[in-house]
Amino acid sequence: MQDLHLRWLALVLGGLALSFLAAGLTTRSAAALGWGLAALGGEYAVLFAAQGRALDEAAPVYAAGLVLVAELAFWSVERRIAAWSDPAIAERRLAQLLGVCVGAAAVAALVLVVAAASVGGGLALEAIGVAAAIGALALLGVLVRRTAAGHTRALR
Amino acid sequence: MSHAATAKLRVYPVLAAAGLVAALALGRPELAALAAPFAVLVAVGLALAKPPELRLYVELDRERQLEGRDVVVDLELAARRPVERLELLFRMPPGLETGAPNPRLIRLAFDEQPEIQLPIRCLHWGAYELGEVLWRSRDVFGLVAFEGLIREPHALKVYPRGETLQRLLRPLETQAFSGNQVARQRGEGIEFADLRPFTSGDRVRRVNWRATARRGVPWVNEAHPERNSDVVIFLDTFAEARRADLGTLDLGVRAAAALATHYLEEKDRVGLVAFGGVLNWLTVSSGMTQLYRIVDSLLDAEILLSYAWKDLNVIPPRTLPPRALVIALSPLLDERAVSALIDLRGRGFDLAVIELSPFPFVDEGETETERLAYRLWRLRREALRSRYAALGVPIVEWREGVPMEAVVEEVRAFRRHARVVRA
Repeated sequence: MQDLHLRWLALVLGGLALSFLAAGLTTRSAAALGWGLAALGGEYAVLFAAQGRALDEAAPVYAAGLVLVAELAFWSVERRIAAWSDPAIAERRLAQLLGVCVGAAAVAALVLVVAAASVGGGLALEAIGVAAAIGALALLGVLVRRTAAGHTRALR
Repeated sequence: MSHAATAKLRVYPVLAAAGLVAALALGRPELAALAAPFAVLVAVGLALAKPPELRLYVELDRERQLEGRDVVVDLELAARRPVERLELLFRMPPGLETGAPNPRLIRLAFDEQPEIQLPIRCLHWGAYELGEVLWRSRDVFGLVAFEGLIREPHALKVYPRGETLQRLLRPLETQAFSGNQVARQRGEGIEFADLRPFTSGDRVRRVNWRATARRGVPWVNEAHPERNSDVVIFLDTFAEARRADLGTLDLGVRAAAALATHYLEEKDRVGLVAFGGVLNWLTVSSGMTQLYRIVDSLLDAEILLSYAWKDLNVIPPRTLPPRALVIALSPLLDERAVSALIDLRGRGFDLAVIELSPFPFVDEGETETERLAYRLWRLRREALRSRYAALGVPIVEWREGVPMEAVVEEVRAFRRHARVVRA
């Protein structure tokens, strides 16, 4: 019964993701795209919980797919000139996108491999893991903030 | 140069954070596996994001061009590091347009200096400044957008297109210097004028031997000398009627440039008076240098709104030399210009008015009142024309599309048939 509820929840999340993505692409809204991607991630989590498996080996594929959706969505809404004015540039970008997806799958696989490694457990290790995650997020936040703050200087 | 975070940079870290927090909360590494690529993408992208440090060299294939023709702009780009996607917008002032893609997207490889040729069509006369390029590039993952403006200013002068003129309007009186115009006076020249008895001091080569043989006493030929003339182009810049792409001032500038070109080719001396909110003048002179002076001065002609009353007294006297032909180019919309022209005639100048017709630029109106006002306005203009004609001033209406030749011929016809009025 609970499994059925989770599947319905996954369906709702999938519908929400689709709606957000469609709205984001139509209105060129980055926030809507973000919500759509988050909903897609949530749908995966719910589906995974519904299946109740120990470790999902397909997670790298899903991660690559999520990155692909995100990249294509942001490519669609970015301020730009005619994307296909120079086909060679568009081809290079598509190749680069493919590389990013392969890289994303590799990173996700690496995370899974590390998670599956039997290095014992315990509170200390868990605390280190939490601290590492928080540290990584903080570092990311600092990097983003420094860049987003922006500064202007004369180039020539 | 400025840089700004793209939408991706605002969303990806949030997704990564949400995934990692969820992974920690639920104890599921799969969620961390979903979030990790976004975190890595942001970290690597920001580490690699560097401004492209562009250099741009702009070159025009010519600095002067005629209206309606093309100028080619060469853009040479260089950057210290490769730029995957560079968007370039060559800023185009109104009056110029390009058929080439603008903005355009290019890729700058390492140590590459691509050249871009941009053909530009000169739609409207004027003095322009070209060489502003707006550029935008993104880092390899599109997280940070760099934008900048590069200025490499180059002046471009677009001269008004010429009008074909077979015959010019000739002044009633010529000047003292030699030129291409047959003077009314008699003297040394080629054109035969008359016969007269030989007097002391006459050259033998002037003796008409046939007439001498017939009369038994020496008779000599008299000739009309070839002289130059002074022409002053009087451009009214007080007011104009215009629509988006064309106005009476444009017509006036084109006509003035064409007239100056043709008169100077005939070795006449030409001057210019731009009479309006700002007074601009050039004293009469001849030669190619004067042509460039006049055309450059015409490029600066513009309508500046002014309520100050101006009359001929503000014009330096030597700008209007005696016995000069004054060709006025005016839409006759401003009372000051109308009065100044009548005053010119009153001072004895040989005056011809080319009326730059404002009618094609004015709508008749939709309501009955508007149409009535329009008809009254037209009647007033007719009355004004009659006033000029009564003073012996030829006045001819000129519209776009009508050849200048026809206008000049109409003035010639007026002068041929009208009674000359001495003021």
